[in-house]
Amino acid sequence: MTIAILVVIAAALGLLFILGVTLSRSWQISPGAGLVRQIKPLDIEAFRNLVDPAEDEYLRRRLPAPEFRLVRRKRLRAMAAYVQAAGRNADILVRVGQAALAASEAPTAEAARRLVDNALLLRRNAIFALLRIYIALAWPNSGLAATRVLRGYEQLNGSAMLLGRLQNPAVPVRISATL
Amino acid sequence: MLQPHSLLWHYLWVAPSVLLLGLAGRMRWLCLHKKFPLFFTLAIVSAIEQLTLYACDLAPSVGAITWWEIFWAGLLVEGILKFALVGEIFARVFNAYSSIAQLGRLVILGVGVALVLTAAFFAVRAPQDSLFEIVNGAHLLEQTIYLVEAGLLVVIFLLSSYFSLFLDRPLFGIALGMSFSALVHLATWAVAANAGLPPPKRVILDFVNMATYHVCVLIWFYYLLVPREVTTKSAVPLPENNLDVWNRELERLVHP
Repeated sequence: MTIAILVVIAAALGLLFILGVTLSRSWQISPGAGLVRQIKPLDIEAFRNLVDPAEDEYLRRRLPAPEFRLVRRKRLRAMAAYVQAAGRNADILVRVGQAALAASEAPTAEAARRLVDNALLLRRNAIFALLRIYIALAWPNSGLAATRVLRGYEQLNGSAMLLGRLQNPAVPVRISATL
Repeated sequence: MLQPHSLLWHYLWVAPSVLLLGLAGRMRWLCLHKKFPLFFTLAIVSAIEQLTLYACDLAPSVGAITWWEIFWAGLLVEGILKFALVGEIFARVFNAYSSIAQLGRLVILGVGVALVLTAAFFAVRAPQDSLFEIVNGAHLLEQTIYLVEAGLLVVIFLLSSYFSLFLDRPLFGIALGMSFSALVHLATWAVAANAGLPPPKRVILDFVNMATYHVCVLIWFYYLLVPREVTTKSAVPLPENNLDVWNRELERLVHP
């Protein structure tokens, strides 16, 4: 009987989730200017500085161990915030790109496909980067590589710029300027 | 009203199958059967299976054991078709994007193995709820099929919603109907297989299952046959020389 109760609860939760997905699909904002405006600008240089292993090495050499751990944790928290923001931006660009996939012009459709692929890759890398950051928060002395997210983000930026340019040549850097 | 062989009982058993055959016919007319061959096959097989079971239930010449044997055979064929269809839905959602196809395959494989092990554990722990071994086995097989099917479909929905992947309307409808059906049937068969209700009240579960199936058929009708409002997007093509200039700008951005 316990198994039956567990299964019924799991099935009810599954049904609620599916219902939520169905409702959110019908209420979804149509991809357009409103959606693009939700993209949060990111300072790539600051992000690059945070993930630079040479910076960490420099701080390790210059600071006493307890102070280094404190600084490193602060840098890791900032890094996590950047990665989360990059992931959210990627999510928006997936939707923008998917809306453009149906375009009849081959270059636009191809640019949209590249944008969606890059955005998905970034979103996937963001999960793993966040995992590594949270592990590093527990052991601040361990090494960390979030550079894949940075590289992915730069690639994504490029793809978004290209799609923006193809869809609207008059405003070439409309999407990328906010990235 | 909620009695075996009541008017509602006859309607709920027959109507969804007749509607499903109608849906299959309409799909063939619209050439949708080429786009969704597994769903088309499943619709026909399920409808024929249910109508055969209904006819056997009414025919006095068919004994209880024979009826359950036919039920078993139909269940196995339908189970294989359902898993193939789940695989097709997964492939259509994730294989289009190389960046997450591998991750999707790994997740679905891991979850699939975990679900099969969980289903096996539940089946081993379930009490013997019927005098007939064949009936008990059918309940457990139903519970196992629905547990794995529902789990895989929920994972597909989870992944696609995390990655904001947009399933096209017919595919979403097929997945939605299958998930709804699998989750409700999972709950009812779990109650049946684990002796959650005394035998006289089991008929309530039959009504819930039949009504759910009817709703699913209507969901499939809506998503496969009712056209969506199409919004046109105008994209301006970029001249070749501008594209080259733009690519050079991108190169500078990525490799400063």
